[in-house]
Amino acid sequence: MKLTIKNWTGVATWRWVANDDNCGICRMPFDGCCPDCKLPGDDCPLVWGQCSHCFHMHCIVKWLQSQPVNQQCPMCRQGWKFNNK
Amino acid sequence: MNNPSFDYKAAWATITQAFPILQSPPSLPESDFETVPFEAVNTIKLLNLAEQIQGLVITRMEERLRKDIVPQFWSHFKKTDHDSATFREFHDAVKFLYYNYMKLDLIMNKLIVLREASNVAKPVYNHACLHEALKLIVKAVLLSQLPVDQQWLILSFYEKALKRQDCEEESYGNEQCCGCLQEQYVCQCVEMFQETNKKLGKMALLEPLVGQSLTDLIYNYIQAHIQKICKDSFDTSHLESLEKWLQSVIISWLKKIYYYDCANRSERFINEFDQKLISYLYNAYTKIRIDQLFNIIIEYPDSLPALEDLRLCLPKTDLKPHLTKTLQKAMETRLLHPGVSTSDVLTAYVATIRSLRILDPCGLLLETITQPIHRYLRSREDTIRCVVSSLTEEGPNDLAEELVRGEAVQVDENTPVDDGVEDWETWTPDPVDGVTSKTSGLPRTSDIISMLVNVYGSKELFVNEYRTLLADRLLSQYSCDTEKEIRYLELLKLRFGDSQLHYCEVMLKDIADSKRINQHIKQDLNYSEDDIPMSAMIVSAQFWPPFKDEKLELHKRLAKQMEKYTSAFETLKGSRTLCWKTHLGIVDLEIELADRSLSLSVSPVHATILMHFQDHKSWSLDALSKVMHVPSTILRRKLSFWQSHGVITEREPDVFHLQEEQENKENNLQDDIVVEDYESESAMASAQDQREEELQTFWSYILGMLMNLDTLPLERIHQMLKMFAFQGPTIECNIQELKVFLDRKVREHQLIYSNGLYRLPK
Ligand SMILES: [Zn+2]
Ligand SMILES: [Zn+2]
Ligand SMILES: [Zn+2]
Repeated sequence: MKLTIKNWTGVATWRWVANDDNCGICRMPFDGCCPDCKLPGDDCPLVWGQCSHCFHMHCIVKWLQSQPVNQQCPMCRQGWKFNNK
Repeated sequence: MNNPSFDYKAAWATITQAFPILQSPPSLPESDFETVPFEAVNTIKLLNLAEQIQGLVITRMEERLRKDIVPQFWSHFKKTDHDSATFREFHDAVKFLYYNYMKLDLIMNKLIVLREASNVAKPVYNHACLHEALKLIVKAVLLSQLPVDQQWLILSFYEKALKRQDCEEESYGNEQCCGCLQEQYVCQCVEMFQETNKKLGKMALLEPLVGQSLTDLIYNYIQAHIQKICKDSFDTSHLESLEKWLQSVIISWLKKIYYYDCANRSERFINEFDQKLISYLYNAYTKIRIDQLFNIIIEYPDSLPALEDLRLCLPKTDLKPHLTKTLQKAMETRLLHPGVSTSDVLTAYVATIRSLRILDPCGLLLETITQPIHRYLRSREDTIRCVVSSLTEEGPNDLAEELVRGEAVQVDENTPVDDGVEDWETWTPDPVDGVTSKTSGLPRTSDIISMLVNVYGSKELFVNEYRTLLADRLLSQYSCDTEKEIRYLELLKLRFGDSQLHYCEVMLKDIADSKRINQHIKQDLNYSEDDIPMSAMIVSAQFWPPFKDEKLELHKRLAKQMEKYTSAFETLKGSRTLCWKTHLGIVDLEIELADRSLSLSVSPVHATILMHFQDHKSWSLDALSKVMHVPSTILRRKLSFWQSHGVITEREPDVFHLQEEQENKENNLQDDIVVEDYESESAMASAQDQREEELQTFWSYILGMLMNLDTLPLERIHQMLKMFAFQGPTIECNIQELKVFLDRKVREHQLIYSNGLYRLPK
């Protein structure tokens, strides 16, 4: 028998590679989106801090805006620095 | 009077000569005196016997009628088998009666002369006029001897005449008379008919003798006429033509008869009768349409004219309660039972709503009729699925049309409803003839989709069902028309609101994104495909309905390819990775065996099985189950797919072999030829087998339709199948294919085909 696979269409779910399943700020799953967004993934990305904690980008930006003086990671209270890995 | 010389004998002779009826035996000579001889009048006057003579004459006349004339008249009414002679028979009977009547009337003339001469004014039978008295006497004697079965001759006479009138209306230039079936030029029907009516009229016997028969005849005739023109045809309005027919045939015919009614009340009488007949016509027509209503509804919108007719008739008749009862009964016996598929119930339901909207805009009738359907639909498990799938299905269908109509779904929240306060001046109470319902305080929405949602009282159930179906559809046909699905989703959003359908939007976006990502990855120079072209549907798990959890260990070759794809994805989308649902997806295969080749689209499990058989020509169920991580019971089922295609056989229990060559030699021979010439053709052959099986699944649908609707044309069957049966991605069939299939069923005597309609054998 000669078996030719002309095309294989598989099904996969995508997920963020993160330490946690949920955003520490909005408690929503990372694979969903933040409360302000409708579409997950590219439209509501994650960002990591140098402390290695990560959040929905929209969530941490909103958090930082509400903290005019000491911009800290809401999880570990270290000063927040974006990790542009 | 004591003159002894008076010759009483001579006087009596003079009198009996003037009135031969007083002779013994009484005589009614062919030719009689026109008037009383002067001598006789004088004699009677002299003897002062005018009253006595008058009494004696009348008694003799009555006797004559009783003993002779009337029995002879009625003797014409004996039943015969010679139907053709009946017309003349009645004519002759009336002629005979009239002839004798005229002779008696002549005697009355003489009596009148006598009365005047002798100043006798005493009325006879309350009639001052002796002619009138005679009419009364004739009528009384006739009716006193009325035979039990006299009606048939009268009916037969008038029926023939009416038929003649009716076909004259239909077609002039007819060679033959419909009454006597003779050539027009020898037919005397018209003359005989006129003569008979005229004579009956003169004797004032029209109404007493034939009135009741005429009424019966006309009612029956109208009934039969309506039945004839309304039989199974709902696509024409008949009201106007019926009224016209009533005027031009029945009424004008009646006028011809009563024209001779001497009582001179023909005008008023006809007018009254006219009203009665019109109302009878409406009643009869409405009843027939009500009896047909279920079928009329099923054939909506082709049956619109019949519905319109019924709408106009209802206010003129008293039949609304009858309609409600009849339709409810029909629904119960023909629709709401386990033999009818849910989708058929739904179609009928939609048609019912649309039809009843026309019949009864106030909605009460609709509510009464649909309540049992609601209850019934709620009890069926697959209702939501059927609604949703017909909402989203290809091609024109009723529910989808309703969706396009717009309007947000109103879910009854049991809130008291503002009954349109601005409109209070035009408010009218609900007609009492509908069945009173406890829910009448709720809004009577006539929006079909809202009504259907209200059957369940929840939008969520609907939306969830839609989401599941959409997911199935998207996963089973990767190439499906997302544009169309998006358009559809927009329509649904108008109905169910954005928030409910947001998940579905993401699902559709996932599919569109996946196509883009596939393109990107294929262009990625670091990504390579050895011999397995790969693509992926990458879905956002949070937004899709949960997938069935099935395990499947893919073949090494494929697993390697998937790893490559995953790392290409990771490079493309930083910080994100893929989790493969190995058992989901579609695989396009080309299988070349020693004697044939197949090309098929199958599931990953099926493809993986074959990949293993490519490595080893035989597998034990156990071993394969271990390699693939699929439980052996499930695996056996999956293997049977390849067995049915003749690719794999189970030669001994639980051991499967690849079958390079088919066992059946006869088939081999044919396949060989095909394979040599066109490799792909042999795949088609096997696809045809599959096709046959698929068509067979429609058979139960077709049986169901014909059981419910008796007869159907090809187009309608196809249309209905399209609505209900063609639901899988591959199951479709064009009308030509269906015809071939049905014709085969006809040859196998499972169907009967006549006049362009299919039906089941009795
Ligand atoms: Zn968040
Ligand atoms: Zn966001
Ligand atoms: Zn931190």
